[in-house]
Amino acid sequence: MVTGDTSPVLAARAASRRFGDQTALQPTTLEIREAEVVALLGPNGAGKSTLLALLAGSLTPTSGAVERREGMRIGWTPQRPAHYGRLSPRENLELFAELEGESDPPAAAGRLLAQFELPDSARPSARLSVGNRQRLNLAISLLGNPDVLLLDEPTAALDPPQRRKLWQTAVLHKQRGGAVVFATQNHEELEGHADRVLVLLEGVLAFDGPLEEYERTELARTLV
Amino acid sequence: MRPVLLLVRKDLRILRRSPVLLGTLVAYPLVIALLVGLVAGYASAKPRVALVDEAGLPHTITLAGETFNVDKTIRNVSESVKLVGLSRDEAERELRNGEVVAVITVPQDFLSNLRGMLHSPQLQVQTGTGTLASRVKQQIQALVYSLNRQLQGAFIRTNLGYVHALKHGATISFLGRKIEILGLDKSEELLAQLPPSSQRDRVIAFVHDARLALAQTDAAMRATANPIQLVEVSKRGRTWALSAQVQSYALAVTIAFLTLLLAASALAAERDENVIGRLARGLVGFGQLVWAKVALAAAVALGLGAGIALVFGIIIQAAGIEGGEPWERLPLLLAGVALAGASLGALGALIGGLAREARTASLVAVLIVLPIVFLGLVPKEVVPAAAWISEAFPFSHAARLFQSALFDSSPWSGTGREALWLLGLGGGFGLLARVAARRLLA
Repeated sequence: MVTGDTSPVLAARAASRRFGDQTALQPTTLEIREAEVVALLGPNGAGKSTLLALLAGSLTPTSGAVERREGMRIGWTPQRPAHYGRLSPRENLELFAELEGESDPPAAAGRLLAQFELPDSARPSARLSVGNRQRLNLAISLLGNPDVLLLDEPTAALDPPQRRKLWQTAVLHKQRGGAVVFATQNHEELEGHADRVLVLLEGVLAFDGPLEEYERTELARTLV
Repeated sequence: MRPVLLLVRKDLRILRRSPVLLGTLVAYPLVIALLVGLVAGYASAKPRVALVDEAGLPHTITLAGETFNVDKTIRNVSESVKLVGLSRDEAERELRNGEVVAVITVPQDFLSNLRGMLHSPQLQVQTGTGTLASRVKQQIQALVYSLNRQLQGAFIRTNLGYVHALKHGATISFLGRKIEILGLDKSEELLAQLPPSSQRDRVIAFVHDARLALAQTDAAMRATANPIQLVEVSKRGRTWALSAQVQSYALAVTIAFLTLLLAASALAAERDENVIGRLARGLVGFGQLVWAKVALAAAVALGLGAGIALVFGIIIQAAGIEGGEPWERLPLLLAGVALAGASLGALGALIGGLAREARTASLVAVLIVLPIVFLGLVPKEVVPAAAWISEAFPFSHAARLFQSALFDSSPWSGTGREALWLLGLGGGFGLLARVAARRLLA
């Protein structure tokens, strides 16, 4: 995964998004590079999920563009679990593995079931606990061997051991040259995880810089 | 193509795990088809008609030497309409209220005119403005025609009696008077006894010609009275429930309900499950998503259509009913069912894309499918506008395709035409659904 290429793996070029007459994200420019963990901060409704959906390619920008380096694969964990409630965790993983073009979908599903300690039974996903559903949500985003992980408040429904496992996964991903962008409202998650911080306020990118620089700003104290 | 198949397999798996939903989706349209059948059956039930008897009709009437059973005539009429004896005021009130669809009045002078044979007796018919009125009018016209035929027969027989008396001589009663008629036979004998003369010979020749002419009168009178005779030949046919139209409509109604609801809710469910965002980021295109729902609708329609066709085929086979080709035409029918399912599925996908939520999509689909089905059931002759609107939706084309596939002696032109309609409509709705599916991300 590490290529040494310094060009961005993912970039937003004046990308904006409107829903009807409401602007969720003002024209925003940013770049994500290899082996970088970026934290995306902002209050509710600031446009964090919209920005991540644009970067993931789930939404198309109303203006501007989102650029992806040739061959880059993206894993996306939406804030609300996105899987089929009437299918079991394995069936969900196998289906998305096939859609992602995994060479051996059953093996990929088995690996992720074990990694995220998910039940390998016929029980429909809708009947899983909230935490398990979020684990399945995360597991699906790891299918297809992604280069960039876009995680929208990934730890919100996880218990402490599962949070630790998630950050271990993120660290491993970074070590292999992958990039991680995660949205959070929890400032404690910045320390030890984020290299860079993006702050969105009412759809405007208010800060983009290293963690140390962010911690010295007035913004850091306001958002805590 | 692979993503489409994967999504279809996923939807079929989900459907299989929802037996209550699947059962409801299958049973509901069958119940609707049954109710439509009952309504159609009610439409052909006996309409209520008032009989105002101002003449005081007796049980029997003797005319021209023949006795007519009035009660039997009324019973015959009651086979097609429900006759209820009412006073004039009551009958008019009920006609205004719509409780009866027509009033037949037998005027006071009816019997005297009938017996006198100088004026035609009259029956008065008053109908409402409902759709049944024209049918009742036709039935009453048929009744009068039947009565006239019976009377005509009696009058012809009486007239032939007079002709017989002219030929052979007799004592007859006319307008209450006894008359002695010599007859042509005796006239000829008497003429032969007269002294020969040219005048006597001319009269004898006339009597001879007259006898020959009157000999032809019998057949001629009967033939002119009934230039065309209708002979009813009874033959075993299908019952109403197994008629071509009912079978085709039952199939079309069931498939329309099932596919429209299924495709609409299945597409909207991708948003409800929050999966649409994952799919839309390059895994599955919007066109493929719509294709998947169209293919799902076609597959389910095919399965259900095969089941219904099988049941009908077995019933028809077991009952030994002739007509239709339940087995030979099965492949053609099933191809039509799959095409109809796909076309209706495209419309369902459009509804799902516009409604965006599975519950709303299901509700909207039901709200839309009902008028589409009922518009398709209205005969073109009754409301032409309904037929025109119906042409813009796949239901009526599906019903006609099934009917043609099962019952036309040469089904290719009929099925081909309707198949083209279904393809065109399906393609159009599919393209619109592709655009509408983008709303799922909003």
